[in-house]
This record gives sequence, structure tokens and C-alpha cells, in this order.
Amino acid sequence: MMPSAPNSGPAIRVDAISKRYGRTLALDGVSFEVRDKELFALLGPNGAGKTTLLHILCTILRPDSGVALIGGVDVVKQPLAARSRLGIVFQEPSLDDRLTVHENLNLHGLVFGVPRKLRRQRIEEMLALVELTEWADKPARTLSSGMKRRLEIARALIHDSEIMLLDEPTVGLDAQTRDRIWSYIRRLRGERQITVLVTTHYIEEVEGCDRVCVVDHGKVLALDTPEALKRDHGQQLLRIVPKGDGDRREILTRYADRLAGEAGEAILLTSDDAFAEAFLAGYGTRIRSLAIEVPSLETVFLSLTGRELRDQAAGARERTLAFGKRGGEHTR
Amino acid sequence: MTSPDTAAMALAARRSPLLIQLGGLYGIWLREVKRAIRDRGQLVGGISRPILWVLILGIGLNPYFRGEVYGEVTFVVPFTYLQFIFPAVVALNIMYTSVQSAVSLIWDREFGFLREVLVSPMSRGMVLLGKVLGGATVAVVHGCLVLLLARFADVPLTWLDVFKALGLMAMLAFALTSLGVVIANRVRSFEGFGVFSNAVILPLYFTSSSVFPLDPALTRAQTRIVYPEWLVTIVEYNPLTYAVDVLRGVLINYNQFDPRLGIAIMGVAGVVLFAIALFDFRRA
Repeated sequence: MMPSAPNSGPAIRVDAISKRYGRTLALDGVSFEVRDKELFALLGPNGAGKTTLLHILCTILRPDSGVALIGGVDVVKQPLAARSRLGIVFQEPSLDDRLTVHENLNLHGLVFGVPRKLRRQRIEEMLALVELTEWADKPARTLSSGMKRRLEIARALIHDSEIMLLDEPTVGLDAQTRDRIWSYIRRLRGERQITVLVTTHYIEEVEGCDRVCVVDHGKVLALDTPEALKRDHGQQLLRIVPKGDGDRREILTRYADRLAGEAGEAILLTSDDAFAEAFLAGYGTRIRSLAIEVPSLETVFLSLTGRELRDQAAGARERTLAFGKRGGEHTR
Repeated sequence: MTSPDTAAMALAARRSPLLIQLGGLYGIWLREVKRAIRDRGQLVGGISRPILWVLILGIGLNPYFRGEVYGEVTFVVPFTYLQFIFPAVVALNIMYTSVQSAVSLIWDREFGFLREVLVSPMSRGMVLLGKVLGGATVAVVHGCLVLLLARFADVPLTWLDVFKALGLMAMLAFALTSLGVVIANRVRSFEGFGVFSNAVILPLYFTSSSVFPLDPALTRAQTRIVYPEWLVTIVEYNPLTYAVDVLRGVLINYNQFDPRLGIAIMGVAGVVLFAIALFDFRRA
């Protein structure tokens, strides 16, 4: 049916993809490769272009220019073949609330052409994987939002997808549920040998990923392992609070070239291990507190984009959704 | 259990694309039907509407149907009002349900489900066909709810009548569901079904010679004197007039027009409206 992709090639290849919405350039020549069986994260603030990129990969949107390959299949030229390899979890819930958990999975299997016997087997396996077996006959609307997410992850795997795309799978969930979702993602990657591309704007979540691609304003800013990103772009900081104004002035003039910023009483100095020791030897008695801030992805992100992750305002769609949630007639 | 067994994968790959499309079509159809069964509101409407129209309105207006003007009986429709309105109520119930099912496309599109199907290997045409067939099936079932009232309306039905009616009802339901999808494709913000009911369904229904006949005893010229010209024109140009008429022909053996005309109009409308719906759907 489709040309078999060489196993050695990248699972996803994005080459100079651009997409424009009116006057905004959502994607500006984005290129990267996701290796086979990799857990790959796209990290960026809301509006960075992550979702647009994912929609291009799953053939909902067409790129203005550039090429995107899923397992060697061009998403523009062979959308059906590309889609059959993908398992997708969208940012917004896409379950049918009136169908039961099992019916939702079965519908997915039917639509993806999974034969009946295999379908039954996969549904059982997937429900067990995300621990929703007891909920199989409950309507999807009775699930909590975390359980819905798990169900969507299970659903994306019913057709033995080789590559899984997850768009902000943990957005809007509490911290505990987020951890749980991530443990499922890691587990299924271990058990089913698939490639996972996940977008997020939670920095702490990408620590466990194989590689992280930082995007903002439709551009790739950096792409590497979390450790390498921290090494190259992260900066150890010394956060010190001087005892008095005299000490403060003296430290500021002495280390003017190392000054990274001031936060209230505290002074931030760029640092490394040797400097920290030297500083302690010289000024150890003249400070009230000292903290060494090791490089985190948070500081990496700050140094790459020059700002913190931003949040988004609600649009017209959210308002219509609110109408539906209020119990809009004959809707869900 | 963990890694996908290769034999099963090979089996999946060997399935013909057509079989996959048909399986998906069945899946989407099944979803529509299941959703409709679980929608209490829709079911209540589907049952109460015919009861109100047939039992209350029909029985209430029955004595006034054969009116006399200047001592002269004008109507020669050889039926009671109850019998006359009965086929139209079948059409009305189909209309409501069809448009209602089609409008749910707005919700599917905005909030999730449609997106999930659009990233599947199914073609857009099959997705839409499944949706329309599902909506049409539910609409035909709701039409049958009206047929259950046939005894009360004094409409005797043979099995052959019922089968013929089912065929016509299916055609009508398909065309109307497609119409609903065409409208739904053009609506970007949605505040409820009431708008559709008031702007589309009721105007079409009332001007389709459903609740009153254009007196068949009169010539074309006389009709235009008895009734205001604009009303006659609207009734004649309303395609639903002919659909109701052909249904009436089957159920109570009364035709104002050639029944073949009604069948042709429903068939052409179904194909054209579905084509427009598909064209919009592919672009969206």
C-alpha cells in the first residue's frame, strides 16, 4: 500500500516550513529532524507556532512552503499514508462525550481501518495501559479531565501508530495529574517502541526528554539534549544578599562586569564554581545569604527568548465553547 | 502483548482501501445514530411534535376544513383535515431531525470530534457521507414515529404504502440533512438551534402547502384571485411543496401535482445539496 520507510531514517523531518496567517508569520522556515524512537519536545510559549506546526504534520493545515516528512512520507503529497502512521492527541479534547469510553476507542479503530479482531485486542490492551479498564462502559463525559487525556492517549495508539504527536497533553491539568500523564507517555514509549513528539510550555516537563527544540515566534532557537542546552545556554548564578548598603556598593563596584541583575535586596552575579569559592573567601562575612542557582531550562529559556513563558487571552471560540458547556441545546 | 505482532499488522495492511473507507463510514454512521438515541431532548421533540400537530391542531381544525363560501362548497379535497395534514407532519418531523443532526456538525468542527476524524485515513467525502446518512437515518426513524399515529388520524396504511413512504422519507431526509450541512458550513458562530428552526424549518414548512391546500377545484387564475399572488408564488417555488405532495400521494392517495415531479426534485436536491456540502467541507 505504501512504500516502506527505511528504519534508519528520521521519524519526522521538517524542512524549511513556513506558514503565514494574514500578516503574522506563524512559522518562519522551521527545520528539524526527530530521530526514530525518540522522545522529542517542542518547547515554546503560547503562540510560538507549535500547534501550527503540529497541524501541518497531521495534514490539517498546508504549509506555505517547505517539506514535512512522516516516516519518509510527504504530508502534502500523501496525506492519507502519512496520517495512518500518526497517533495524535490534540490540545483540545476531541472525545465524543455521549459515547462510552469503549465506543470512543472502537469508533477510532473503525475509522482507521483496524480489523475487528485486532481492534478488540488493542482496545483491551490500551485500556489496561492507561488504567481505564473499569471505565470502559461509562460515558466519556463522566471522566475527569486527566482521565480524558489518558483515554485520548490510548485512542491514538489503537491503530498501531509508529509516531505519536501530543499537543500540550498536560495543559490545564493539576501537577499530580501532569506527572501521571508523563509517566504514561514514558511507559508507552518503552513498551511500544514508538517515536513521540510532544509540545509543551511547561519547562519542567521537558527535562526527561531525549531532545528539546526551543521555538519562539515561528523560529527554532535551539535544539539539543536538555543537558547540552543547560551547558551551552544556561548560566550558573550567585544570588547574594549583602549585609548593609556599604557592602552592597562595594560588591557592585567590584563585580560590575559580572552583574546579571538585581532582584529586590538580592544581587545576581554570573558565576562558576571557582568564582563562587573566591567570592566566599573575599566577602563571606559581609553577606546575609548566598544561593547558587544551577542552570535550569528555565534560565535557558530566559536567555534564549529574553522573556518568560507568556499566557494567552480567551478568544471567540472559548466563548462559544462556554455556551456549549452551559448546556446549549442539542449540542454535546 | 507489548510489541505489535507482525501478523496482525500484515493483515491490517492487506485490507483494501475501500473496505477501510466503508468500515469508517459505518463507524461515523453508528456514532450519529447512537448520539441521537442518547439525546433525550431530541427524542422528546420527535414524539411531542407529531402529537401536537396531529392530535391537537389536526383534530382542532378538522371541523373547519370544508368551508363554504356564499353557500358554495369550495374545497373538494375529499379528506378530513387530519388526513390532509398527516403526511405533512411526517415531513415536518423529518425536517426538524435532519437539520438538527446536520447542525451538530458545527459542534463537531469547533470542539474536537471532527478533527479526530479528519486526521484519519478516511476521505472527506466518506466522513461527510457517514454524517449525512446517520442524520438521515435518525430523521427517517422520527418520521416513522408519526406513522405510528396513522390510526388516530384515520389514515389506513398497507405495508406497501409504508415501504413506498419509507423510500420517499429517506430521500427527503438525505436532501434535508445535506441542506443542514450546507447551512452549518456557512455558520461560524453558533448560539443555538432556535435560529435554524425559526429561519429555515418553519418558513419552508408553512409555505409548502402542508397546513393548507391551494384549492384544487380552482383554475390557476382563480387560485391567484382567492389567495394573494405572493403566497401562491412562494408555495409553487418551494421545493418542499412537491416533496410533501408526493408523500401525500402515497399515504392518502391525494396529489396536487405529478408525483414524478416530487421524486425528481427530491433526488436532484439531494445530489446537488450534498455536492455543495462536500465542496464546502473539503475547503474548510
